[in-house]
Amino acid sequence: MAKVSIEKRILSENDRIAIENRKTFADAGVLVLNIISSPGSGKTTLLEATLDRIARELAVLVIEGDVSTERDMDRVRARGAGGIQINTGGGCHLSAKMIREVLGELDLESADIVFIENVGNLICPSTYDLGEDVRLVLLSATEGDDKPMKYPSIFHEASLAILNKTDLLPHLIYDTEKVMKEIAVLNPNCEILRLSALQGEGMDTWIDWLREKLAAKRGEQTSGARRGT
Amino acid sequence: MHELSICQSMLRIVDATMEKHPGAKLMRIFLEIGKGATIEPVLLKDAFEIVTHDGPYAGTELVIKDIPLVGRCRSCGRSFEYEEIALGCPSCESIDIEIESGLEMNIKELEIDE
Ligand SMILES: Nc1nc2c(ncn2[C@@H]2O[C@H](COP(=O)(O)OP(=O)(O)O)[C@@H](O)[C@H]2O)c(=O)[nH]1
Ligand SMILES: [Mg+2]
Ligand SMILES: [Zn+2]
Repeated sequence: MAKVSIEKRILSENDRIAIENRKTFADAGVLVLNIISSPGSGKTTLLEATLDRIARELAVLVIEGDVSTERDMDRVRARGAGGIQINTGGGCHLSAKMIREVLGELDLESADIVFIENVGNLICPSTYDLGEDVRLVLLSATEGDDKPMKYPSIFHEASLAILNKTDLLPHLIYDTEKVMKEIAVLNPNCEILRLSALQGEGMDTWIDWLREKLAAKRGEQTSGARRGT
Repeated sequence: MHELSICQSMLRIVDATMEKHPGAKLMRIFLEIGKGATIEPVLLKDAFEIVTHDGPYAGTELVIKDIPLVGRCRSCGRSFEYEEIALGCPSCESIDIEIESGLEMNIKELEIDE
């Protein structure tokens, strides 16, 4: 018997492709967000509400990851987004390779922002880096307030958590402070916003956050270009 | 739920390694899986059996080391099982916590019969 040492992350191949994607996105100067949540938390609704507020001045692409239908893609197209649907055929998450394979079909050069709506699932997508700038976890008030502790890995990697459906809070037992504290413990760098994608409360702060991130990304871009000359 | 695709990623790494040992039989695969890594060891073993039962790795054993999810308080330096520290350090109440272990999903080594 012989031992052969490997010492690798099982997803090292995904990680490698994610790095390539990140480089492609950076070269195109586009801000990329990977949106992860349980089914029904409001990912598509948030995209619709966001597009209503920015689609006139910014070019937005959406990559829709879904098990089968094109319904979400139709919804965001109706609000002015371009983009593409990836049907995972039952798969519970997007991978860096699936994103890589559709990049050629997207006009990244003219785009400002790419939103990736991951397959509705709080578990599986969390370990697959897609090459995004921002990993956004969306939680909704109706899911209960015990989620961060139950799914530590997703919050550990997230740069933004959005607590959606704040309009429903008066009707629910939901300890917002506890949720925010649990997220802070898991990841002190994770920013937290509260909003109602449907009713509009808190949407302005989110749009400001997005614009700031885009400006920061472009800042990196120009200083990078300057360094390059 | 994604154990099947984790299993396939693992097998690609295994294949690449076994190519360097032609004729060898793979006896054991050693993994390290954190409690917070969203991988269910039982499901991973099931997936592995289903995928490998009629190939060269039929009968290979998947040895999974569970790594506990542990948080360390940056203020007082003490470590706790994550459940105890999820709302702050039980010892000094700080919420400046770092995850010390429990998110691993690593392939460590193979045992082969040459
Ligand atoms: N009350 C309320 N309902 C919402 C809100 N956001 C989304 N929803 C509803 O939640 C359901 C699922 O939304 P959807 O965007 O399809 O979720 P997805 O599966 O994460 O894409 C729909 O019925 C939405 O109208 C919100 O802020 N408040
Ligand atoms: Mg949707
Ligand atoms: Zn402490």
